[in-house]
Amino acid sequence: MIKVLNGGIEIVVEDWPGRVGYMGLGMSPSGALDNLALQIGNIIVGNDPGEAGIEITAGYCSFEFTEDKVICLTGTDMSATVNGESVPTWEAFKVCAGDQIKFDHFGEVGFRAYILIAGGIDVPLYLDSKSTCLFGSYGGFEGRKLKPGDELRGIAVPNQDELIGRKVNPKYKPEYKNVWDVRLIVGPASVPDYVTEEGMDYLFSHEHKVRHDSNRSGYRLEELPSFFFARENGGEGGDHPSNWIESGYNMLGAVNINGNFPTLLIGDGPTFGGLMCSANIIYADLWIIGQTIPGRDKIKFVQTTQEEAKQARIEQLQMLKKEDLVIR
Amino acid sequence: MDFTLNAHMPGLVARVTCEVGQEVEENQELVVLNCMKTEISCLSPKAGKVKEILVAEWDEMDVDVPMIVLEEV
Repeated sequence: MIKVLNGGIEIVVEDWPGRVGYMGLGMSPSGALDNLALQIGNIIVGNDPGEAGIEITAGYCSFEFTEDKVICLTGTDMSATVNGESVPTWEAFKVCAGDQIKFDHFGEVGFRAYILIAGGIDVPLYLDSKSTCLFGSYGGFEGRKLKPGDELRGIAVPNQDELIGRKVNPKYKPEYKNVWDVRLIVGPASVPDYVTEEGMDYLFSHEHKVRHDSNRSGYRLEELPSFFFARENGGEGGDHPSNWIESGYNMLGAVNINGNFPTLLIGDGPTFGGLMCSANIIYADLWIIGQTIPGRDKIKFVQTTQEEAKQARIEQLQMLKKEDLVIR
Repeated sequence: MDFTLNAHMPGLVARVTCEVGQEVEENQELVVLNCMKTEISCLSPKAGKVKEILVAEWDEMDVDVPMIVLEEV
C-alpha cells in the first residue's frame, strides 16, 4: 500500500492508547506522541479514532503508494507534496498507485506529523496494540522504525472516495506554539520532604526549555537549580536527592526528576525506577509533548487539580465525538 | 562561489568528519549531530572543498545554523 523511499529521522507505526494493561510487567504503553492529531485524522478518514497511523518525527522522508488510497495528514505542517504538488493538511484527499509523497522538514511550530489512511494499517496486533515500542523492539512494523524499502499493507475500505474533502472544523484544530502551557497535578514527591517551596515555585514560574536529547521515552527539560531539592541526598535510594526507593512511575505523563533534569515520561518511557516524580501531566495535555521541538521549544507548567483534569479529559473525549468536528 | 552546510535538526555536534582543505563529494558526511539520542549525518549538499569549519564537538545547533563553509571546485 505504502512503500518507504526515504526513512528520514524517525518514522513509526503508532495507534492510541497504545499497549495498555502491561505496565505491571514493565511494558511501556507506547502510542502516538500526539494522540490528538492521530485521533482527529483517523476520524476524518472514517477510521476508529485509535487506529494506527504513521508517525513522522522531524520530516525529511518520502513514500510511494502502491494502490489508490484516501489519506489525511495531521500534526505539524511539513509542507508535504504529492508528485511535487502541495497537498492540504487536516483534510482527506486521494492518492493513486505510483504517487510519491514527500515531507520537508518541520516548520516553526510542531515536531510530528501523521499519515492516516482510510481503512487503517495492516500490521499484527501485539498484546492488543499496533504501536511500535522502539526501545523494546516490539509491535508496529517489525518492532522498529521504518526504513527505505519497507512496505506497509493497508486494509480495504468500501466507497473510500466518499471521504474525499472531509476536513477538521477549524475551531477544533489544535494550536501549535513554541512556548506551551502544560497542566500538571502535583505529587507524589512534591511535598516539603523532597522539594522546597522555592523549588515548586520555580517549577511553576519558569519556562523550561526542552533539551535536544528528548525522544520517545522521555522529554528532558533544562536543569533545575539545586535549591529545588529539600534533601542533601537520596538517603537509602542513592547519592543524588532525586533518588528514592524504587517505585512504579505514572505512565503516561509523570514529571520524573532525573538527577537535576525534569523528564516527562511518555510513549516508550520506563514504568518503574528509583527517581522521584514530583508531578503529572494531565491526560488532556499529553499530546502537547509530542509536538514540542527539542532544543527549541519551552514548556510552562500550570498547576491544576484532579477535578479540573478529569473535566478536561471528558471535554476532550466529547470533542472527538462532536458532529461538527469534521466538515466539508 | 562559497556555500554552506547548515544544521537541519536542532541538536549537539557529535563530531566533525571533515578537515579544512579536504575535497568532498556530494552527499558526503561532514558533520554528525546528536538529536533525540540518535546520531544524524549531515551531508554535503554538493561537491566542493572545505574552506572553514564553524562548529566543534558539543556545540548546540538550531535549524539552519551554518556549520561548514565550502567552496566550489
